[in-house]
Amino acid sequence: MYGLVALGYHITWVTSRTMNFSQGHAVMAGAVVAFAFYVGLGWPLWATVIVTLLVLALLGVGLERVAVRPFFRAGSAAWLLSTIACGIIAENVAMLAFGRDARAFPSVLTQKPILVGGAGFYAQELLIPAVGLLLMGGVQLFYHRTAYGKQLKAVAYNAEAAGLMGIHIPRAVMFAYALSASLAGIAGILLAPILNVAATMGSIIGLKAFAVAIIGGLTSAPGIVVAGVGYGLVESFVAGYLSTGAREIVGFALVVLVLIVRPWGLLGTRPPRRV
Amino acid sequence: MVPALWAGLAVLAAALPLLTGNTYYIYVASSVGLLTTVTAGLNILVGFTGQISLGHAGFYAIGAYAAGVASVRLGLSPWLGVPLAVLVAAAVGAVVAGAALRVTGPYLAMVTIAFGIIVEGILVEWVAVTGGPGGIFNIPKPPLAQAYWVILAVAALSLILVANLRRSAWGRALLAVKGSDIAAEALGLSAYYVRIVAFTVSAGFAGAAGGLFAHLNGYISPDSFGLQTSILFLLALLFGGEGRVAGPLFGSVVLTVLPEFLTTLTDYRLILYGGLLLVSIYWLPQGLVGALAPRRGAARGRRGEQEQKNRGAGIPAERARDDAPRRNGAGAQDADKALLTVEGASLAFGGVAALANVSMEIPVSGIRAVIGPNGAGKTTLLNALSGFYTPDTGSIRLNGMSVAGRTPYAIARLGVSRTFQTTQVFGGLTVLENIAVGVAGPRLGSVLAALAGTPWARRADETVLRRARSLLDAGGLGEWVSRPADALPAGLRRRLEIVRALATAPRLLLLDEPAAGLSPAEIAELDAYLSRLKATGGPSVLLVEHHMDLVMAVSEHITVLDYGRVIASGTPEAVRANPAVIEAYLGAAA
Repeated sequence: MYGLVALGYHITWVTSRTMNFSQGHAVMAGAVVAFAFYVGLGWPLWATVIVTLLVLALLGVGLERVAVRPFFRAGSAAWLLSTIACGIIAENVAMLAFGRDARAFPSVLTQKPILVGGAGFYAQELLIPAVGLLLMGGVQLFYHRTAYGKQLKAVAYNAEAAGLMGIHIPRAVMFAYALSASLAGIAGILLAPILNVAATMGSIIGLKAFAVAIIGGLTSAPGIVVAGVGYGLVESFVAGYLSTGAREIVGFALVVLVLIVRPWGLLGTRPPRRV
Repeated sequence: MVPALWAGLAVLAAALPLLTGNTYYIYVASSVGLLTTVTAGLNILVGFTGQISLGHAGFYAIGAYAAGVASVRLGLSPWLGVPLAVLVAAAVGAVVAGAALRVTGPYLAMVTIAFGIIVEGILVEWVAVTGGPGGIFNIPKPPLAQAYWVILAVAALSLILVANLRRSAWGRALLAVKGSDIAAEALGLSAYYVRIVAFTVSAGFAGAAGGLFAHLNGYISPDSFGLQTSILFLLALLFGGEGRVAGPLFGSVVLTVLPEFLTTLTDYRLILYGGLLLVSIYWLPQGLVGALAPRRGAARGRRGEQEQKNRGAGIPAERARDDAPRRNGAGAQDADKALLTVEGASLAFGGVAALANVSMEIPVSGIRAVIGPNGAGKTTLLNALSGFYTPDTGSIRLNGMSVAGRTPYAIARLGVSRTFQTTQVFGGLTVLENIAVGVAGPRLGSVLAALAGTPWARRADETVLRRARSLLDAGGLGEWVSRPADALPAGLRRRLEIVRALATAPRLLLLDEPAAGLSPAEIAELDAYLSRLKATGGPSVLLVEHHMDLVMAVSEHITVLDYGRVIASGTPEAVRANPAVIEAYLGAAA
């Protein structure tokens, strides 16, 4: 479930060794924008999806311009703080525009829960991993099979050499951010009916997605999707058998455990130490 | 003049409750003090070691709840409860650091966020102890003026402690790890351990502030300790100036007072924080303190030069070398034995064999060289010898003890020191301090003594600095003493690295292309320096170098690598005449 959001970290990380620390806020933005068009203006779903993706891609590009590009070359961690800054600004703007309250997002797939062995879930909740897998496949194909995808990977490996080979690096990084934000937009639309839409929904989603990205390995898209599904299952079991509060504690404890055993993630590749 | 200014400020701050009866002002000033205390501690982690924590609200919370529980449920006095809060927060900090510092940079930032959320979750869930979402009431509240004085004293103490730390061997070690963790490890420092200590100490500061917060307010609840609070801590530090001792104070004043002026805009608080964060990242990379005192570093540099002039240049260059090879004493007794033995070492990256069955011996003294075409595995060999790589097969023995697979800092502590192909000077430190990091090595003493600045710790530190000073003069860097190391020109950086490596008094010195990027004149100096080192009983040297004139002039024995294999080994004359070597270099059958 979080795998989809976590893919967004993966995409920018493999391209630029940076990421949007406020990826969760991008999910929130996706949900809020979709809500505004679908519920607020009464647009049809397909048009809402297209507009949401466009808006999010633009936000991604803007974020890259404002918060990442100035610091990409410097090799500093300033991008980390600047993306957080943009995230909390976005949260505040959303709160002012949208209000403090959470609002329900209607969906045909959340009308009736399906019951399996006492645990109920919505069809929507099945849709999410399905879309996640599909997009993961798409991202993998894109990176391994298309020329542009390979160029993006080259930028990640050695930006200087890639630049000398004629790859437009700023454009590549910008593209990665647009793609990453669009994925967050899709996640926002999919999660909205389950979680309800609220300005404050971003942080926790972003964090859990980052947890998933660490567990699966930031460099591995399949690892992230597998970890996303696994994390979701563990969460619902813990929430079911212990309490919802224990859910967060167990989840993040899991991250710490993975970091101790395999800091580069379950399916990630161990980075070589550069001396 | 500056100390007088600080003293005046302190007196003014202390007199505040006498000047105004307005409790609101005193409360705001108390908040400044608390924020100063937290950010002073955070400065140790962020400013000195360069690691970002977004979970310090967690330690603040732990301190507050420890003090709250101690006074309300156990009936302890605040004089016991607050120190207890420090201990609890530091203990949790040590445990968290042990796990979280397996990773650094963005990973660490996210793990600390997760830690903050776990703490918040526990505060809400563990109702029996924490009171759940409602929090703890009725925490004993001393009169406001008294609480303020205590908080003020603690805040001032925090700044003093951090200033002491910055001047100590610990402070230099922290900044060294920030500047280049691999170079720090090559000098015998464990970057992991150093970061854990920094994290633990900074957690303790947050715990102190949390404990005082509980007694200032008389009431605590989980709401005060969310991610926003952690962001506020970091923001105050960055805005004031990370790595600057006074930074936390300035940042705390602005970040506490400014929102109070803008109370009508509470709804815009996040935009304000985010905007300030962006402002400080874009325009104030050194923070307010850095922006207000831009020429302070330069002034200090000039003063250093002045000192140097006053001292005169009359220090005999060789005198300082007298006790350099102190560890060599034991090894020198059996001079015919090999110091380091490599047997059948192989190492492959993916399918590429960087080292293939390499065997060599390094004697206890003299200069040996490793040469070979680009990509022959020379630097890989050096990395294997110094512990940065572990060979897949084969053995590396130092005085008969296997060292393959040991960490770089463990090998460095056994007397193997090195320089790097791309120079790794500690940018945040002066030239003198760079060398002092090498002199002290892992012998940092107690971090508590460093914080307190005990006379004993200061004396020990003066000895270290004196020795660093004499090494620096002997190395011909005398005029650069108090310049920042990253202001050095390339040639002198290389020399600084060599002097710093020698400062650990190694038995074996590994030099990775020390002549790269040097002018012919500088290479001649390097030649003379290495010869002098040999003549004065310096350590055994292994030189990896492309510059043939230098290699032929100084080394007694040359090993030639090509595609990871040893293709020739012998005296410079023999190697020069070897057909396999000629072929490897010229690519033609001889």
